[in-house]
Amino acid sequence: MSPAPKRIFSDSQMASGMLTLARSLAVGGLRGTLLLQILRTVLRLVFAGTLAIFAGVMIEAEAVSVPVVVVGLATLLLAVLVGLFADRQQAAAEFSVAQGLRESAREKLAAMPARTVQALPAGALIAGLQRYPEALSALVVGHRAAALMLGIVPVLVVCAIVAVSWQAALALLFATPVMIAFFILVGGTIHARAQHQERAFGQLATQFDDRIRTLPTILSAHGVDHERRKLAVRMAAYADSTMNMLKVAFLNAGVIDFFSSLSIAILAVFLGLGHLKLVDIPGFSGMQLWQSLFILMLAPEFFAPFRRYAEQYHAKAEGNAAALAMDGFLAGPATLDQTMPLAFDRFEGDLRLPPKGIVAIVGESGAGKSTLLRRLAGIETPAGARRAQPDPAFVKGVDWISTDTPIQAGTLADALSWNRAEHTPAKVLSAAERVLLLDDTLLPGGLDARIRAGGENLSGGQRLRLGVARALISDRPIFADEPTAKLDVANAARVRDALADCACERLVVVATHDPELKALAVLVIDLDRRRSSQREVAV
Amino acid sequence: MSVFISPEENKGEAPRGSIFWWRLAVLLALVALFASILLTGVSVWFLGAVALAGAGGAAYTFNFHFPAALIRLFAMARTAAKYGERLAGHKAALLDQVSRRAMLFSAMAAAPRVRSVSWQLGDQDRLADFIDDVENLDFAKLRVQLPLLATATGLAFAVAATLFVAPMALVVVLPILLGVAACARWLLPSLAQDWHFARLRRRAAGRRLGTALGAVVPLQAEHAWPETLTTSFAALSRADARLLLSRRRMAFADALVGLLGPIASLAVLGSAWLNGQRGDALLAAAFVAFAWLALGEIAQGASRILHARVKEGAASKALKAWTAGTSPDDAPARSRPFHLSRLEIIALRRCAPNGRPLGGTVDLILEAGRPTVLSGPSGCGKTSLLKQVAGWLEADGGGTLIGDGIELAASSRRKLAYLGLHDAAVLSDSVRENLFAPDAADAERWAALNVVELGERVRLAGGLDGWITQDTLSLGEAHRLNLARALLSPLPMILLDEPGEHLDGEQARRIAERLIARLQDRILLVSSHKASDAWGAAQELKFDGLALQRAE
Repeated sequence: MSPAPKRIFSDSQMASGMLTLARSLAVGGLRGTLLLQILRTVLRLVFAGTLAIFAGVMIEAEAVSVPVVVVGLATLLLAVLVGLFADRQQAAAEFSVAQGLRESAREKLAAMPARTVQALPAGALIAGLQRYPEALSALVVGHRAAALMLGIVPVLVVCAIVAVSWQAALALLFATPVMIAFFILVGGTIHARAQHQERAFGQLATQFDDRIRTLPTILSAHGVDHERRKLAVRMAAYADSTMNMLKVAFLNAGVIDFFSSLSIAILAVFLGLGHLKLVDIPGFSGMQLWQSLFILMLAPEFFAPFRRYAEQYHAKAEGNAAALAMDGFLAGPATLDQTMPLAFDRFEGDLRLPPKGIVAIVGESGAGKSTLLRRLAGIETPAGARRAQPDPAFVKGVDWISTDTPIQAGTLADALSWNRAEHTPAKVLSAAERVLLLDDTLLPGGLDARIRAGGENLSGGQRLRLGVARALISDRPIFADEPTAKLDVANAARVRDALADCACERLVVVATHDPELKALAVLVIDLDRRRSSQREVAV
Repeated sequence: MSVFISPEENKGEAPRGSIFWWRLAVLLALVALFASILLTGVSVWFLGAVALAGAGGAAYTFNFHFPAALIRLFAMARTAAKYGERLAGHKAALLDQVSRRAMLFSAMAAAPRVRSVSWQLGDQDRLADFIDDVENLDFAKLRVQLPLLATATGLAFAVAATLFVAPMALVVVLPILLGVAACARWLLPSLAQDWHFARLRRRAAGRRLGTALGAVVPLQAEHAWPETLTTSFAALSRADARLLLSRRRMAFADALVGLLGPIASLAVLGSAWLNGQRGDALLAAAFVAFAWLALGEIAQGASRILHARVKEGAASKALKAWTAGTSPDDAPARSRPFHLSRLEIIALRRCAPNGRPLGGTVDLILEAGRPTVLSGPSGCGKTSLLKQVAGWLEADGGGTLIGDGIELAASSRRKLAYLGLHDAAVLSDSVRENLFAPDAADAERWAALNVVELGERVRLAGGLDGWITQDTLSLGEAHRLNLARALLSPLPMILLDEPGEHLDGEQARRIAERLIARLQDRILLVSSHKASDAWGAAQELKFDGLALQRAE
């Protein structure tokens, strides 16, 4: 399933950058795939010719030509082998395009400011990254090759038939515009039906997905029976409307089948009449059996690329939707310009952080504490401003403590020492002890306690304490967003102590509501009072 | 071909409606198959016959009308039957889809995993996986069983015809057929393994990426963001690389299948020739030979069938895991809500959301008209207690709950309690349906919406029939909508998790007062991570952190 990208990003007006990128990534692989596919087609045509000669001569002239059999078998084996390589080449090309697309997505994400990343719909992004590159690469390689073969294979077939009867080749060529006219006619109807379905039933398309997503809510409100009945009715209505659309959509394949079958039927009858010498049609009369057989065998090949192309109609729709959705993700949502209180800019201009000690940013919720914290840490720059010269103390990065601290799956020791080059078992142990993570009834097992990715099995308070312990292991400046907010009294005191200890050697910037933490600060930035109060730095 | 036995779970699943369409689809598939084979075979036979007749001077006595009509008939039948097969097959699959999904919805609703920990299918990426599985099952018959049946029938016909016309050719044909079957047997488990591996990898990579996206600020602060992304993306690439391996194997299988038709065709003609058949006698062999060729065309891309089979197997396993442990008595039967004015909670063990005991027990008396607030820092087990009272947690904690003098088991509590989850979702539906009160009058619905200060918002968004989704409402609005649901619930126990969340203090207080006033006749239990005066007269039960509790 493609998770309904259109509805998430219907406002994306961009020309599809991802599609362009995918096409440029596909160039080499596509060429190889196409060449192999053409070679396979040529070999198949040669095999068809030899089989026609083999059968025709055998029946008509009662002779078997050994060279023809040998050539036939050889071309058959070659065709199969080349076909194998063509398939593998296509798979490899699609793989490498998908890799390239992912790589580009990764680069874009890596360069994205934190707040833009936070504004992305995470679940949809993950589902998209798992699926879209594949869908898009199928569009620019497989589907594209099929589209190009539309122009190549019929020409090859016609050339081959010309060698036997140019009139028969001409007849096939004449069938093509008629078929294309049918295509356009059917295509228009399909489009109209699809639009009608989207308008009338679009809301019902994902009702099942939606009810599964909201299942706990339905359960909590005792709506299961009602929802199930409603769901069944709506799914049935949607299925009916889908059927109405399919009736027309299948005409597409039907048109190709029709022409392909008809061409065999008509050619067979005309060629038959020619053999009987009942009528004298130029190009159909006076031929040897193998020549008629050859024409008869090649006629379906003429239509085969159309059929293969029509079979991939969904690849096109999915690929285009994927390109659109990836553009939407990676362009990032429109600039989220947060208007900051007046006091904010004033602080930022002349704020000089001390080399050590606690700096507290205080103020009402929504005053911009977290934003200031991010800007001071150099994660974010004000919109329109050039990136401020990073504080030389922060070049190695800073330690960030918050409930969204990154937590790796594994044991507690793994989570603590992740990305801490300086960790030693002793440091890890003492840091964990310091914030009482070893002795937590909610997290039994000490340093070996199992932790799920993202700290799924941890409470907000435990995550915070884990963040503090991680900061204790390193020696970088500490930035903490509400480090005591989710903690009970005893744990809050413990965290304050730990931060105060760290502050003796390095800078600790906290955004906080906690008056006791504020009391420990050497510098308080009060976003409400619009002035900072400096205290003596206790050395 | 024993590997292709259809999965057991499909038996007896097809509802009455779809069986007719499946039969029709099978019939039409066979008609299309034979029309294809016969169209080619008869055409070739006809050409051979007229060529011999023309050469032998029998042209005027040759009745070509009959075979020419047959050829036209097969051409038309092939076109019509293929179209009909597609339509009938999809009709049947869609009918099955509707009933299977309705059943799956019920099964999921009854599964314990819905109630226990946070709902994983609320995440878009997990939901996408789930829906992929459902779809793979929905169309399994269409993609696996139907083409397999048609191909097998065609093969049986071709083999039988060969046996009749040129039995010697089977010496060549059968080994190839056996080779194809052996290849399928070898391929199926390895494809399944690749698919399983890729799924696991993708899911793991998705989880990693989710973790990273959630922690982007700290990661960027620590300068670990690019590296974390690289790790997650590398896992996605490994999954893809494994699927590439799968595709290579499939290409091999397709190449082998591609040999079948042409080789069989040559073999039939050759063995007929070696058998001494000449002239007219060879026409039957030509017919069979070209029938093989047509069959070979039909069997092209057979690996797709294998792949669909593998996906079907994986999907059915994954879906079973979701609904595992469903007890039959959990059928969502709804009894009439009866009155309940007093609930005594005795020695209920406190536990974490995953059911692990936290230590300590709770004794509490809840009474109608006397709201109770649970307060305490996050993670102290408030939500779990609400869920225990509501009968939502499997590990019940061994306590006794007595309602109006009758002991209430978890299953009966579930029928008595409205549980307002703090992360309640918005259904993609009308406002009316979102309120979950099918029996309420519109006036009651409006009154409830006004109480939670959503009346104006809903009026502007198209009234009760306006269509809303998760994205159209803000967090606060979604939260208030959930409070309106609680107001409209007729149940005697209303349990609300963090009703003040996402609301500003003043609004939270106003709404709380109205809730208390309107739910006078019910047992009302709410949780709140900050002790707030919003609940005024309510009795407050403070949940202390564990450290404090130990200190006592």
